[in-house]
Amino acid sequence: MAEVNRRDFLTGLGVSVGASLAALPGLPSVGVAHAQGTPKGNIPDHPYKIGHMTFFTGPAAVLGEPMFKGQQLAAEEINATGGLLGKRKIELLKADENAGTDANVKELRRLKLSEKIDFFCGITSSGNTPALGPVAEDLKCLTMFVDGCTDFLFDKAVPNPHYVFRTTNIQSADGITTALAIVQTWPKSKRIAHIHPDYSYGRNAFDHIKIVMKKMMPQAEVVSEGWPKLGTTDFSSHITKAISSKPDLVVSSVWGGDYVAMYKQALRYGMFQKAKFATTLALGVAPHALGKDHPEGVIAGVHSNYHFTYPGGDKWPLNKTFVEKYHARFNEYPNFQAEGAYTTTYMLKTAIEKANRLVGGWPDDDAIIAMLEGMMMAGPAGYVYIRPDNHQGYKDAMIGFSKNTDEYPFPILDPARIITIPIRSITAPPGWPKGEPTSTFTWIDKTWPTAKV
Amino acid sequence: MSTVTTTVALEHRSPVRTLGWAVPALVILLALPFVVDQYQTILLAYGLVMGIAALGFNLLLGYTGLLSFGHSAYFGVGAYTVALMVKYLGVTSMELFLVGAIVACVLVTAVFGIACVRYTRIFFGILTMALSQVLWSLAFKFFWVTGGTDGLRVPTPTLLGLVTGKGDKIAFLATAYYYYVLGVFVICTLVMWVIVSSPFGRALQAIRDNEVRAEFVGIQIRQYRWVAFLVSGVFTGLAGALWVPLNGLTTPDIMHWTFSGEIVFMTVLGGFRSFTGPIIGAIVFNYLKTYAVGYTVYWQLLLGVVLVVLVLSLPTGIVGTAERLWARWRAR
Repeated sequence: MAEVNRRDFLTGLGVSVGASLAALPGLPSVGVAHAQGTPKGNIPDHPYKIGHMTFFTGPAAVLGEPMFKGQQLAAEEINATGGLLGKRKIELLKADENAGTDANVKELRRLKLSEKIDFFCGITSSGNTPALGPVAEDLKCLTMFVDGCTDFLFDKAVPNPHYVFRTTNIQSADGITTALAIVQTWPKSKRIAHIHPDYSYGRNAFDHIKIVMKKMMPQAEVVSEGWPKLGTTDFSSHITKAISSKPDLVVSSVWGGDYVAMYKQALRYGMFQKAKFATTLALGVAPHALGKDHPEGVIAGVHSNYHFTYPGGDKWPLNKTFVEKYHARFNEYPNFQAEGAYTTTYMLKTAIEKANRLVGGWPDDDAIIAMLEGMMMAGPAGYVYIRPDNHQGYKDAMIGFSKNTDEYPFPILDPARIITIPIRSITAPPGWPKGEPTSTFTWIDKTWPTAKV
Repeated sequence: MSTVTTTVALEHRSPVRTLGWAVPALVILLALPFVVDQYQTILLAYGLVMGIAALGFNLLLGYTGLLSFGHSAYFGVGAYTVALMVKYLGVTSMELFLVGAIVACVLVTAVFGIACVRYTRIFFGILTMALSQVLWSLAFKFFWVTGGTDGLRVPTPTLLGLVTGKGDKIAFLATAYYYYVLGVFVICTLVMWVIVSSPFGRALQAIRDNEVRAEFVGIQIRQYRWVAFLVSGVFTGLAGALWVPLNGLTTPDIMHWTFSGEIVFMTVLGGFRSFTGPIIGAIVFNYLKTYAVGYTVYWQLLLGVVLVVLVLSLPTGIVGTAERLWARWRAR
């Protein structure tokens, strides 16, 4: 592969700071403001049951629980107008993802077979979607995972999904977004230390950061790897190991309550003075979970999905109203999970309405699925597109830099330095053969050029 | 540990009296898929599988007086053997899975047993736990072999070379697989009944009640304990192998010591001083945990409270308490 100039290549990918969005006319969007026609045919009026599983306990709850709130908000809005198709009120059933993968499998079966849920939603951990996806297919249970975004789900665990969808960005996009932000910000870094949670998400982030660096920063070398177990509260050994390798840059995909514990401990060791710092998910937690002691100017990932301050101001009213409504309802600000679940609920609503217009009456799951496949919707974060071939949601990736402001009692993304990347630039296209460790990994490896040092 | 080593006679009713309740119970279990919905049958299959594990565990706790805190290891060995047979050998036959799990468990428990049976009481407990954690970390860290925390997926197996789960997997699990599990469960229960009623089983109880006397009678304590350890591990491993197709995948969670704790919990819940206690405990615990997780986010708290109440007020477990109440009622 020919060598290219790094800056030219980034420009070619569309990596840009402070990009703006333009609205497409006629596109479905979240919210119930726009009037819908009277539904066709007879609509039953018994509740539409949604089983929602996410972390309600444990260190992951600061990231996962807002997901439930996002869906709750959407459900309350829809119910206030009479329910789905004006008749069927949404009834939410909670389940705690923290019970462990095996218990979650059992619980999904219970929800579908015993509680007779119509729709399954939620899931935070990428350890759980590959376990639950096949079970949902077996159960013929219409499912939209909000997160649990591992590439493995649609690459291998459920390669031909029918009932299962997922809305937030695919996981490889997360590592690549962070890596490209590093390439753009600190391209001369040489010694890279990694701290990642020891499960599929951490390894996925590590793999994709490495492959992008191999292409864009060939001079960079991995000088240390730390693999704390998910749910760890003591990171001192991993922090000291990273510091002792004298890195220019520490990269981490530790998330949720684990991340809060890690950055507070890293402060004590002065890690942020000794090296630059980049993360995939620092600002993924519920915003108030971080304190103003969080270092400023670090690359602060939001799972490549959404931060409530962007698009800011009046630029994207869907976001402004969502944040206002969420804050009014829960007295806190949403994270990307809340946005994901909120948008997911409206995608479901839109699919049901479209299917009703076509077939009349209450549409069966296959009709709803046909409407979800290929759906594009404008949500608070921007446009989300559900690719029909793999049922995966795609939206343009974003990341930024942490900054303290007077406006909020916690750090936010610096509004002046938001980095956005068109999603098609960083994910394998439809039809690309399934690869190891992921399709996107082999796609980058085979098609991206190497940058000149 | 004092409760374990005190002299407690495990009841041995005459076979005829046992049949008096075992046959109706079996008839109910056989008829169940026709009466209750699929979900309840699948849930009961989980309970029966855990019943086999707890039955094996109780050979050590109830009959030999050794509290193992590492039985998750053998459950996991059974489960991972199946998963690795699928991954590397492409096997789909459930019978081969069971044979493979037994072989693997014999190998692992034989080695672990040599180390563990040299000790008793807390030392035995700690050692079994430590060894199980070794296996857990192997399953956790060697992700290119074991899938790490993602675990390994196991498709529906072929039963007796005839029945496959192609098509409706839920129906398969709720009927064919349920009966398969029930069959293995009945066989395991009978085999365990024979073991504990045999001279070997009596010798184990003698060792439990008084080690020194047992040695003076000429029982080779360490060998007997080792064999008990082996049998116990194999039963638990067999349960692991049966559990995987039911769950669809195996993860390192089932090798973690907290899962060993669950096996201890279910045995204590049912009552480790009776033969049927662990089975009842396993089935009840399975319902308890499933519904606790389903109905409240404070499920850990609920399980903790149950355990505390159990230890404080029902030290003989469900079966022991039921027997006492029954005896009191009859004495009137």
